Amino acid sequence: MTATTVIAAQPEQAPSRIRSVNRRILLGAWRMPSFRIGLFIFLGLLLLSAIYPELSSISATKMIVKDKFLPPLWLGDKWAWEHPLGTDQLGRDMLMRSLIGLRYSLLVGIVTVLLIFIIGCGLGLFAGFKGKWWDTIIMRITDAQLSIPMIILAITILGVSRPTVPTIVIVLALSGWPLYARVARSAAVAERGKEYVRGLRVLGAGDWRILLLFAAPNILPPIAFVAVLDVARMMIFEAILGFLGLGIQPPTPSFGSMIADSRKYLINAWWIATIPGIFLAVALTSINLVGSALEKSRNRIYGGL
Amino acid sequence: MLILEFLVKRIAQGLLIVFITSLLIFTLLRVVPGDPVRLIVGGMAPPDVVEKVANKMGLRDPIIVQYGRYMRGLLQADLGQSYLRPRSGMIATGGQYVDPTKSDMAPVTDLILERLPFTLQLGGMALLFALLISFPIGVAGGLHQHGWQNALAFAVQSLFVSIPNFWLAIVLILFLSVKLKLLPALGYQGFSYVLLPAIVLSVEIAPFIIRTLTTSLGEVMQSTFIDEARVRGLSRRRIVYSHALRNAAVPLVNLLGIQLSTLIGGVLVIEYIFDYPGLGNLTVVSVVGRDFPVIQGIAITTSAVFVFINIIVDLVAYMIDPRVEL
Amino acid sequence: MDLSLILDVSDLTVGPVAPGSPPILDRISFRLNTSDIFGIYGESGAGKTILSRALANWLPESLAYRAGQVAFAGRDILNPDISEVRIGRDIAYIGSKPQSALDPTIAVGSQIAEKLHSVRPEWNRRECRERVMQLLGEVRIPSPKERYWDYPAKFSGGMMQRAMIVDAICAEPAVLIADNVTQPLDVTVGAQIVALLHDLCLRHRMATIYLSSSLPTLGQFGDRTAILYQGRFVEQQAFAELLAAPQTDYTRKAIASVPRMWSTAEGPLARRQAVGEVPLMQVQNVHRTYRARKRGTFNSYSHIQAVRGVTLDIMPRENFGIVGESGCGKSTLTRLLAWLEVPDQGSIVLNGTSLGSLSRGELIRKRNEFQLLLQDPYNALPPRTTVGRMIEESLLIRGSIPRAELRRRVIAAMAEVGLAAELYDQLPIALSTGERQRISIARALILDPKLLILDETLSALDQREQAKLIDLFSKLQEKNDLTYVFISHDLAMVRKVCTRIAVMYLGEMVEIADNRELFFDPQHPYTKALLSAAPTLEDKLFDPGDFLLEGEPPSPIDIRPGCSFASRCPKAFGRCRVETPKLVERSPGRLVACHLLDSSEVKAAA
Repeated sequence: MTATTVIAAQPEQAPSRIRSVNRRILLGAWRMPSFRIGLFIFLGLLLLSAIYPELSSISATKMIVKDKFLPPLWLGDKWAWEHPLGTDQLGRDMLMRSLIGLRYSLLVGIVTVLLIFIIGCGLGLFAGFKGKWWDTIIMRITDAQLSIPMIILAITILGVSRPTVPTIVIVLALSGWPLYARVARSAAVAERGKEYVRGLRVLGAGDWRILLLFAAPNILPPIAFVAVLDVARMMIFEAILGFLGLGIQPPTPSFGSMIADSRKYLINAWWIATIPGIFLAVALTSINLVGSALEKSRNRIYGGL
Repeated sequence: MLILEFLVKRIAQGLLIVFITSLLIFTLLRVVPGDPVRLIVGGMAPPDVVEKVANKMGLRDPIIVQYGRYMRGLLQADLGQSYLRPRSGMIATGGQYVDPTKSDMAPVTDLILERLPFTLQLGGMALLFALLISFPIGVAGGLHQHGWQNALAFAVQSLFVSIPNFWLAIVLILFLSVKLKLLPALGYQGFSYVLLPAIVLSVEIAPFIIRTLTTSLGEVMQSTFIDEARVRGLSRRRIVYSHALRNAAVPLVNLLGIQLSTLIGGVLVIEYIFDYPGLGNLTVVSVVGRDFPVIQGIAITTSAVFVFINIIVDLVAYMIDPRVEL
Repeated sequence: MDLSLILDVSDLTVGPVAPGSPPILDRISFRLNTSDIFGIYGESGAGKTILSRALANWLPESLAYRAGQVAFAGRDILNPDISEVRIGRDIAYIGSKPQSALDPTIAVGSQIAEKLHSVRPEWNRRECRERVMQLLGEVRIPSPKERYWDYPAKFSGGMMQRAMIVDAICAEPAVLIADNVTQPLDVTVGAQIVALLHDLCLRHRMATIYLSSSLPTLGQFGDRTAILYQGRFVEQQAFAELLAAPQTDYTRKAIASVPRMWSTAEGPLARRQAVGEVPLMQVQNVHRTYRARKRGTFNSYSHIQAVRGVTLDIMPRENFGIVGESGCGKSTLTRLLAWLEVPDQGSIVLNGTSLGSLSRGELIRKRNEFQLLLQDPYNALPPRTTVGRMIEESLLIRGSIPRAELRRRVIAAMAEVGLAAELYDQLPIALSTGERQRISIARALILDPKLLILDETLSALDQREQAKLIDLFSKLQEKNDLTYVFISHDLAMVRKVCTRIAVMYLGEMVEIADNRELFFDPQHPYTKALLSAAPTLEDKLFDPGDFLLEGEPPSPIDIRPGCSFASRCPKAFGRCRVETPKLVERSPGRLVACHLLDSSEVKAAA
């Protein structure tokens, strides 16, 4: 280590040397304004979608035909206070529908990513650490799974029976786990070669013990940080499925189906398409800001290590 | 020699993957509920008519037998015939039905071959647009890790990745096509029809390219050999373009291979929205209509394209960086 | 001879960009004439690299020039307006990390030619290529025309450093800056590089600045030498005078800290021998070969014979040393001794039990008796684990123990190695290298072993920490009746500590002897070469010129029959290339594998 590296790293190193790597990654991300903005917006939306529908008496699904095509606040001439973001072609409140749609979107996104993480990383760690036959088999399965694009799988399975939240989650999880398995596997292979693993083997520790007690806690957190980004990705997929008619079925609102229905009314009532899109885009942006900041922080800390 | 052995090995593996994929799709279609015969003969037809037609179509035989028959045809380069489309003309709609056992149906191979070029054109143009946007932004962001260029790259990439493609498509159609009348939207009647779909698709691809470029270029620029190149007397221009970019390109190339699945998914939705006559469009219609032969044919084509592109990706990576394991 | 002034450095001061912090280099001044060779000695961290970079106008972003001038042929190179002096062409730099100096994706020769063409655009590409090929031959890289097109990964450390020398001199610079160029290399290879560099500097008449943290290496050049301490030149004289009459305390300390191998009577204490002893560990004809798929083929494999028929006995309470350079197979042998890998042939017997015959459960229990300590104190310990937990692990693997008892035993182990009990719940992040090594020792000791294998364990430590740990080891040896096996490339350390030493070359033992016998009367040509290349200020026992090896050790892939050292041995003859010499006891306790000794016996008998 030369004097240059010591000097260059000095300002950052001193206070954080004592903390663990994960705390440093979180702190590094927190320092970035993008992370805080994203987190703030995300939490705001989360609270809004959890609380507002409980408080308001307006229904998201009941059709009030006389109220149809009401524009959002201050636009046009027929707007009303009780429908701040307007109504759709069947008189349903846009704000309420968007928030309910957001609920389902977040639900599908988060549950799917949890599932992918557990299955994917579990299999990947196992394959990477044990090696040989297990490794080959699991990797070939991921190859095969990866060569079937999600959309095709979705259309095949969901296109037949009435899609429900569990089936949507399963389809998305099936197409998402291979990537995590691959990443976990290469991390496990790299970990396997590290000196401390050899040190533990010499003491007499067996493979499983090393994997579960020492290797996994080292490998999983960096993957977990980046998994945040995938919540956004899954939410987009859910919206695409909804758009194609393969998502949560009407009358329950979902972003995709709302936007799909709105195509006919683009010219006269453009807000029916735009409002759900904006909600989705803002939610996704906030998640992406948080996730990207975490990823950047992780790359920086690991790069410096 | 090395390359030849690599090709042989990978093509053999590729064939295996295509085989497994086709088997998976084949089985999946027959196992999941949704009877194509029902859709063909219509909801009103009595059960014995359904059975008769199904038997004639060979759909009541055990799956292995059906697969064997399919494989035999495959070896003769015959992907079968569509259940829905007659050789000439469009799919029957409404109450009519066309009995596939009686009329001459469109060969799947023809259907695919006639649409493949459109999809390839769309994919190619989208990739081109994506690279045109991503390269300058990504390179600038990578070179100036703490400058505004990096912040800009970060912002653009976050923005693009958060816009759902179908929503963007609708919004762009509304503005560019309907209101401003700059670009045509639906269908295909000339090259200009590929531009709007390609733009939407490129917005989907671009963020990954920007992200990978900024990170890997940033990492490479920290390497010892880049630093040392300065004292050896190489100009900055040469260092960045002949060495840094070269090293940063490998993760980018690998990324393309991985992102392929996502790309295919994106193409599907875009073609559907824009009513673009490509394979994606065909896929949606066929899956909804349970047109088994077409679905299988497309699955085989897709995984073959997937395998092919991955082989090219690995080969290109090796040519850039000889340390890559072939 | 042109003795004009080529480089005039006056009051060069360099420090961090942030104002107010103390400078790293403080008023460095010296003058360099053409054909001068100027040596600069500095400990690691003293600022050598920064000085070398400052002289080449190549400071990292965090540092800046604060004062002073570096005038090349009268023109200040630090002045950005002067574009006539070009770094890379007029002033060249060779660094200490050859392996990461070039782009790994492009052929080595092409990159050197690219550099040459960049700094001397008046030469066309073909001329550049030819010149580079010729120079590659001049630095004694075999088959230069073919190696031109090889990628950096295919070059060993020594070869790559030669290539970097070509890279530096190809543009015919007037000044050459060589920063610690032999540090990462093996002794014998390093010795060759130093000789080569000396020769080239004289032949091409380059003014050379040679920086090193090893006084003996500077001694090989012999000219004017400066001592860098805390950013200043504290002394500047010709090397011989420096040794004879050092003027500052620091210089005296530096000279004293160079290890002495022959001019000292110091050495390890003789081993306490018991009556009717049997060896603690018997290694019997152990072989280990790796099969690697040849890159670029489907099914053909190359066989890497890492360990080829090693037989040795380790007696109780001795300090057995195994020395060798990189590629000799000692890392593999270490893994076999620690039973991390199983030998393909042969057996290892510990205390009467053959390790190969044990079941899994029995093996874990047997592991109590022999433990391995690793080299890298940072990576050898599991991350994010407290000190106490790490030591507990040794016991927890073998079954659960009540908390109180566990804690008691761990604290006892910690005390034995000199670790304060408060460190129990702390992460090792703030600990020094020496303390980390103590954690490794503690977790091995808690199992109450009889044999400790130390794999370069002392290599990462500085002199002081090394001395402390050696003390600890001898204390523990007395108390617990331990036996040590030291695997190292550091001859000075081995001379100080080991009672009996084995020299390893290309998977085999070529000589095994007692400490004094090995160092004062080596029999095998390789041992002689190794000892003559060792960096020391003393008068050598034999002329290094006689034993300067050529080239690199052959690769362990597909080894030819005959003596493995034959290709580089200055005394090889016909029989050497055909028949592999056996390790034979020439005198009590002394084993050597060399045909030369047979011949001399034959001659003596005749």
